[in-house]
Amino acid sequence: MKYIDYVTLPWYRKIIVKLQQGIKNFGKKFVTFFVLLWKGIVSALKGLGRGVKNYFSMFAKGDVPTRLSYFIMGSGCLLRGQIVRGIGFLSLQLFYIVYMFSFGWGQIKLFPTLGIATKKEIWDEVNQIYRYVQGDNSMLILLFSVLTIAITVAIITVYFFNIRMAYNNQQMLESGKKLNTYGDDINSFLDKRLHVTFLSPPVLGVIIFTVLPLIFMILIAFTNYDKNHQPPGSLFTWVGLENFKNMFGGNALLSTTFKGILGWTLIWAFFATFSNYILGMLLALLINKKGIQLKKMWRTIFVTTIAVPQFVTLLLMSRLLADEGAVNVLLGYFGIQPVRFLTDALLAKITVIIVNIWVGVPYTMLITSGILMNIPAELYESARIDGAGPFKTFTKITLPYMMFVTTPYLITQFVANINNFNVIYLLSGGGPLSLDYYQAGKTDLLVTWLYKLTVNQQDYNLASTIGILIFVLSAVISLIVYNSSSSVKKEDTFQ
Amino acid sequence: MKNAKTRTTFTTVLTYFVLIVLSILWLMPIVWLVITSFRAEPGAWTEYILPKSYTLKNYTKLFTNTELFNYPRWFMNTLVVAIFTCIITTVLNLMTSYTLSRLRFKGRKAMLNVGLILGMFPGFMSMIAIYFLLKAMGLSQSLVALVLVYSGGAGLSYYIAKGFFDTIPRSLDEAAKIDGATQNDIFWKIILPLSKPIVIYTVLMAFMAPWVDFIFVSVIMKDNYNNYTIALGLYQMLTRENIYQYFTQFCAGAVLISIPITLLFIKMQKYYVEGVTAGGVKG
Amino acid sequence: MKKTLAIILSMLILTGALAGCTGESTPTETVTLKVWGSQEDQAMLATMVEEFKAANPKVKYDITFGVVSEADAKTKVLEDPAAAADVFAFANDQINDLVNAGALYEITRNKDKISNENMQGSIEAATINGKLYAYPETADNGYFMYYDKSVFSENDVKSLDKMLEVAQSKDKKIFMDVSNGWYIASFFLGAGGKLTVGEDGKQDCDFNNENGVKAGEAIKAFTAHPAFITGDDAVLKGAMGGKIAAGVSGTWNAEDLKSILKDNYAAAKLPTFTLGNEQVQMGSFAGYKLVGINSHTQWPVEAMKLGEWLTNEVNQITRFKVRAMGPSNIKAAASDEVKANIALAALAQQNQYATSQKDVLGSYWLPAEAFGTAMEAKDYSKTIKEQLDAMVAQIES
Repeated sequence: MKYIDYVTLPWYRKIIVKLQQGIKNFGKKFVTFFVLLWKGIVSALKGLGRGVKNYFSMFAKGDVPTRLSYFIMGSGCLLRGQIVRGIGFLSLQLFYIVYMFSFGWGQIKLFPTLGIATKKEIWDEVNQIYRYVQGDNSMLILLFSVLTIAITVAIITVYFFNIRMAYNNQQMLESGKKLNTYGDDINSFLDKRLHVTFLSPPVLGVIIFTVLPLIFMILIAFTNYDKNHQPPGSLFTWVGLENFKNMFGGNALLSTTFKGILGWTLIWAFFATFSNYILGMLLALLINKKGIQLKKMWRTIFVTTIAVPQFVTLLLMSRLLADEGAVNVLLGYFGIQPVRFLTDALLAKITVIIVNIWVGVPYTMLITSGILMNIPAELYESARIDGAGPFKTFTKITLPYMMFVTTPYLITQFVANINNFNVIYLLSGGGPLSLDYYQAGKTDLLVTWLYKLTVNQQDYNLASTIGILIFVLSAVISLIVYNSSSSVKKEDTFQ
Repeated sequence: MKNAKTRTTFTTVLTYFVLIVLSILWLMPIVWLVITSFRAEPGAWTEYILPKSYTLKNYTKLFTNTELFNYPRWFMNTLVVAIFTCIITTVLNLMTSYTLSRLRFKGRKAMLNVGLILGMFPGFMSMIAIYFLLKAMGLSQSLVALVLVYSGGAGLSYYIAKGFFDTIPRSLDEAAKIDGATQNDIFWKIILPLSKPIVIYTVLMAFMAPWVDFIFVSVIMKDNYNNYTIALGLYQMLTRENIYQYFTQFCAGAVLISIPITLLFIKMQKYYVEGVTAGGVKG
Repeated sequence: MKKTLAIILSMLILTGALAGCTGESTPTETVTLKVWGSQEDQAMLATMVEEFKAANPKVKYDITFGVVSEADAKTKVLEDPAAAADVFAFANDQINDLVNAGALYEITRNKDKISNENMQGSIEAATINGKLYAYPETADNGYFMYYDKSVFSENDVKSLDKMLEVAQSKDKKIFMDVSNGWYIASFFLGAGGKLTVGEDGKQDCDFNNENGVKAGEAIKAFTAHPAFITGDDAVLKGAMGGKIAAGVSGTWNAEDLKSILKDNYAAAKLPTFTLGNEQVQMGSFAGYKLVGINSHTQWPVEAMKLGEWLTNEVNQITRFKVRAMGPSNIKAAASDEVKANIALAALAQQNQYATSQKDVLGSYWLPAEAFGTAMEAKDYSKTIKEQLDAMVAQIES
C-alpha cells in the first residue's frame, strides 16, 4: 500500500492496517532475524574451514620467506624489503611472547577453576602478628583471562594475516609485479582502505571499554560470585546455568520479583516513550503555530530544563514530592490532605511517568520541531479543504506521518527507557519497597534492581544474569525493528 | 469571514495561555532551585515554601570556603575532562559515522548491527572491570582515565551522525574523486564543512556527559578527592553529616553549572535541531 | 605437588618479609601508609598523624590521606582492597562483609590492653569468632530521643504513649523514621527479638514470633497516631521547634538541633512503649566506629601502631572536642566533659538497652524497611503476622 492510499483511509481502518502489518511483519521479521543469524554463523564456519585449508596449502606452495613467516611473523615482508611492515609483525609476536610468559599464562591457567589458593596466615612471634600470604583473586583471574584470550585471538588473526600477506607477496613477485612500498601503504590507508584507518581507533576503544568488560560480566552470570564468595578473601567458581534456573522458577521469590519487575519495566518503557513523544510533538506544534510570537523564547524556556543536570533536578523533584515535601505543604495551605506521590505503589508509578515527561519533553520538542516542518503542506491543505479541525488534522495527518517517519527513533527511545536508570534511581529509588519482592520496590526497573543487588547485596552473579536478560530483550527488539525499518532499507536513496 | 477571524484570535489566545501554563510548570522546579540557592536558613527541608531571608553567601562560600568542598578545583577538573572528552569523542564519533555511512567495505552491515546492540548492556555493570583494566594500564584515579572512560565508547554512538551523513548527496564525492581527491580528502575538505550542525550536536552531547555523571567517576576516583568532578563533589554535600549545613550551597553549585550549559544550549539550539532532525529520524 | 610448591613459595615470601623487619627494631626504609577518613576529619587526622610521627622519631614515615567516609569504607575497600588505605575508619555494621572478603588484618598486638581500655560492647562489635579485627574509635553510632523542653517535661518522655498524648494536645508531632531498618528495630528489640548469624552464614531472625507480632501491632498503632510523623533527617531538622517537638535520631544531628532549639534543647533515652498490655523499654542498635587495618598492607606492624595511636585515649578525647564524637575508651568516656554532653549522656543511657549491630547482615535492611513502609502507608491489606512472616522469610533468605 502506498503512503498516500494509507493516509486517505478512515482512522479506524488505519489502526487495523497498521496492526495487521505490524503483526505480520514482526512474525516475519522474527523468523528472518534468526534465519539471518543462522546464515551468518554458517558462513563464518565455512570461512574458518576455508582458512584452515588455505593455511596448509599455502605452506605447501610457499617459498622460504613465506614458510618462515609461519614461525617468525613478518619474515615474508622483511626478507622482501618491506621493512616497516615486517618490524610491525615481528614486534607484535615478541610482545605476545613476553606478555604470555610474564603475565598471561599465569592467568589463563587458572581460568578453568578461577583460583585454588586461599589466603594463608603464619604467626610471626617477634612482632606478635600474623603474616598473610594472599590467595588467588577469582575476579582478577577472570578479568585478566578474558583480556589474555582477547589478545590471543587478536594475535592469531594477525598471524593468519601475516601468512596471507607473505603468500600474496610471493605471488606478486612471481607474476613480476612490484611490491607495495611503505608510501603506497600509507596512500592506500588514506584512500581505498580509509575505513581501516578511521575505524581502528574507535573499534579499539570499544573493545577495551565495552566488549572486554561485557564478556567479563557475561561470564560472571555463570559463577557463584555473590555475597558469600567475595574476593579476595574467598574464591568463587563456575556454577553453569544455576543462576538462570533460580531466576526462572528455581527460587520462588526471585522469579516472582523478576516477573513483576519485568512487567513494570515494559509498561514503563511504553508509557515513558509514547507520553514523551506525543506530548513533545504537541508542544512543538504549539510553539510553531502560525501567529505565535517569540518562538525562540518559548523554546528556550523548555530547553533550560535540559541544562540543569538531571541528578540535581531529579533529587530536587524527589524532595518536592516527598510526603512532607513542598508540594504537599502547598496543598496543605488549601486544606488538601497530603498526597503520597512516591510512597503509594500506584501513585509512585504514575508520578515517575509524569516526572519523566517533565524531563524528556523538551528533548522531543526539539527533535520533532524540525521534522514537523517537513510534513508536506499539501497534506494539510487537503485536510483543510475537507473541513478537518485541528484535532482531526493531528490524529489523521501529523501523528501517522510522524510515526511513519520516526520508527527508528521510537525504538531507540523504547530501549533507552528500559535502561533508564537515572529517573527511577534518583526520583523514587525504586520505592515503595515491597515484601513481595526480593530486595526491590514497586517502581524498580530491571536495571535499578540490578544496581541494588550489586551495591547492597554484592550479588554480582544475579546482577549479571539480569543484565544478560535485559541485553537479550533489548537487542532482539532493536535488531529486528531497526533492520526492517524504512530508514535502513532506503539508506542509499538519498545519496 | 469575521467568524473565522475571531476563531483564529481565540485559538491564538488559547495557545498562549497553554504555553504560559506549561512554562510555569516546567520552570517551577528550576525557580525553586534558584530560590533555595539564595536561602539564608540552612537545611534541606523547611516547613514553609518561600525562604524567610535571602543571602548571597551560598555562592561566595563555594569559592572562599574550599577546605571541605573544593568547588573551584572540581569545576576546573570537570572543565578539563569535558574539553578533552569532547574533542576525542567528536573525532572518534565522526570518523565512525562517516566510514559507516559513506564507505563500502566487507563486514560493514555486521558492524552496524553489532554496534547497535553493544551499547545495550547496562553500563555500570562493567565499571569494576574497566577500573581494573585502567589500573593495569597504570591510569587509575587520574583525570586521563576519566577522559578515556567517557570517550572510549564513542564509536558506538554513531547512529545520529551516520543518519546525517546519509543525507549528503553522493554526487559530491563522485565529483571530488574525478578531481583526484582521496577518500581522506573528501572527508576533511568536502563532507566536514557541510556538517556543522552534526558536529555541533556531537560536541554538545559529549561536552555535557562529564558534568552529570556521578557513578562512573566515583568508581574511578575512589579516595582521590582532588580529582573529583563537580557532580560527585556536589554529591558529597548530601551525606547525612553535611546535608543540613550544605544543602543550600549544593543548590548554588548546581545553578552555577547550569549557567554555562544553558548559554551553550541557547546559542547552539539551531544546530542541535538541524543535526538531530537530519540524522536521527528520516523516512 | 602444587600445594607443596605453594607452601615453599609462601615460606620464601615469609623469610623475605621477616628479613625485612626483624624483631621490634625499626624499619630502615621509609614506611608508606595511607589513612582514610571522612572529609570533615581530614584536618584533625593530619594533626594526629603529625603527633604520631613526633612520637616515633626513629622511623621515617610517608603518610598520605584519602577521603572516604566511614559509611562508604566497605564499598570502596571491596572495590579494590589492594588500592585501599592501610588504615581506615568504618562503621561496625560493615565488619562481617569486610572479614568475609578477607579485607581486615587480625589485630594481635596489644590485644589485651585494647580490650581492657575500651567498652565491652565496642570490643564485641570489633570481634568475629573470637578474633579482634579492628580498633574501637567511637561509641556514638546509635540513636535516642531529642525533644523540645518547652513541650515535654522530663517525665513525659519516659513513655511513648504519654508523649503522643501530650503532643496531640499541643498540636505537635513526634518524629521517627519508621521506614528504616535501623530505627524500626527498636520496637522488635524492645520486645526481646533477636537477630543472629546462623551456621550457614545467613541471618536468623525471630521478629515474627508472638512478641514480634505484638511489637508489630505497636508499630501499627504508633504510625497510625495523628501525632506521628516520618521523614528523613531533613524533615526532622527542618521542622524541629516548629511542628515537630521530639524526634528519634543520633549524635550526628546534635550540633544542628542544638542550634535550632537553643535553650529548649534536650535529649533522653528512648521511651517505653505498650507491648500487648505491658510497658517495655524500646531497644536500639548500638553502633561503633572502628579503625581497621587493611590485610594487604605492606607494613602491618607500623599500620597497627598508627591504628592504635589514632584510637587511644588522648585522641578519642580530641575527637570528642573537635567533632563531638562519643568515645569508646572507658576513661575518655568517663571524663566530665563527655558526661556533660546532653546527646552523649542520652545515648549512654540508651546503650544499656542496646543490641550490637555486628550480627546484622546486609539482607536485613530492605525487608525491614519494606515493612516500615507498609506501616507508614497504613497498608493493612495483610495482617501484621503475615507481613512479618514475609519480612522474616526475606531476611533469612
